[in-house]
Amino acid sequence: MLSCAKLFKSLLISSSVLFLSATSSFAATEAKPIEIKGEIIDTWCYLSGVMGGEDAVIGSAHHTCALWCAAGGIPVGVLDEEGKIYMVLKLEGEDTLAQSDNIMEIQSDTITAKGLHYVRDGVNYLVVQDVVANDGITNFNHEDFGAVPPNSFPKNYSAN
Amino acid sequence: MSNLKAKLGLILAASLFATSSIAHDGVVHSDIGEALKHQEQTSPNTLGFPDVKGGDFDLIDHNGNQRTSKNPNGQFQLVFFGYANCKAICGVALPSMAAAVDILKKEKIDVTPILITVDPERDTVDNMKDALAVHHKDMIGLTGSEEALNVAYEAFNVEKSLVYNHPEHGPVYAHGSFIYLIGPDGDFKTLLPPILGPDRIADVTKGYVSGAKS
Repeated sequence: MLSCAKLFKSLLISSSVLFLSATSSFAATEAKPIEIKGEIIDTWCYLSGVMGGEDAVIGSAHHTCALWCAAGGIPVGVLDEEGKIYMVLKLEGEDTLAQSDNIMEIQSDTITAKGLHYVRDGVNYLVVQDVVANDGITNFNHEDFGAVPPNSFPKNYSAN
Repeated sequence: MSNLKAKLGLILAASLFATSSIAHDGVVHSDIGEALKHQEQTSPNTLGFPDVKGGDFDLIDHNGNQRTSKNPNGQFQLVFFGYANCKAICGVALPSMAAAVDILKKEKIDVTPILITVDPERDTVDNMKDALAVHHKDMIGLTGSEEALNVAYEAFNVEKSLVYNHPEHGPVYAHGSFIYLIGPDGDFKTLLPPILGPDRIADVTKGYVSGAKS
């Protein structure tokens, strides 16, 4: 956890524009029900770029680092199929904000979830009410980018 | 380091132009800041943001004085829950808060940075001041009884749990990771993910201080 934490400090880039909703609506004043499919990601490494480009900091290549980041308190996000990021505020059955042992079980997985979509200060937030499907880790990119830390991804991993 | 920054800058630039964010709803923006402002203007806050009611707390500051959620100086307050010895997320959030406060100060906007401890055994009146001064000279550390701290945790929906005991650094806690903006009277305004940079934190804060947002 600590080696990754040191990297957290190395650079803060105002890349929060990636959180932005690609659509705009003056009428978006109520939380909207949403069904979303996407990968649970480590928002720090994805947005800061400290660990490499976007393709390298998702999937199996980044799974272990993503677990460390989540354990260290970095909020997770859902990266949907359009490239939009939703900060996960709560998971189903959790009482507190963005703190969950359960998130460790689904980090890096591709999930389909129903929930409520909030917008605050230009940032998308998601309250997950129901994970309706979990495909496990579907992006096996550690062969392309190498795992962080090296050799941390199990060779015989199976989503099933 | 400069090479790394240059590389990361290119990565960021590439990622931005690879998305629709910089040219959403048909408007092309010349820079990120402009895009952010436009997005905020066109996507107002959702009403009824969930599960952060905020509320009064009554704690002890690093000088041993009582301090409640109401700021005696009448300033807005950026609040983070963590601990001075934290080597993880606090090391991201606290410097960002501090830098945001300095950015706002240059615009003649005074905002108070506050850490509410989740480790009162180590964060005491005697040692918090020096530990937090590393981040900002005006950062205020708050501690208190378990009961008083729990009131604050519950108000902001924060939970702490011991992860493990580090042989060198001591207990390592999981805890809340959002930065909260509260008003001079202690009323909750918004929360900010800790991964937002100081500029963005300052910009959002400024919107609430100026009354442009509520």
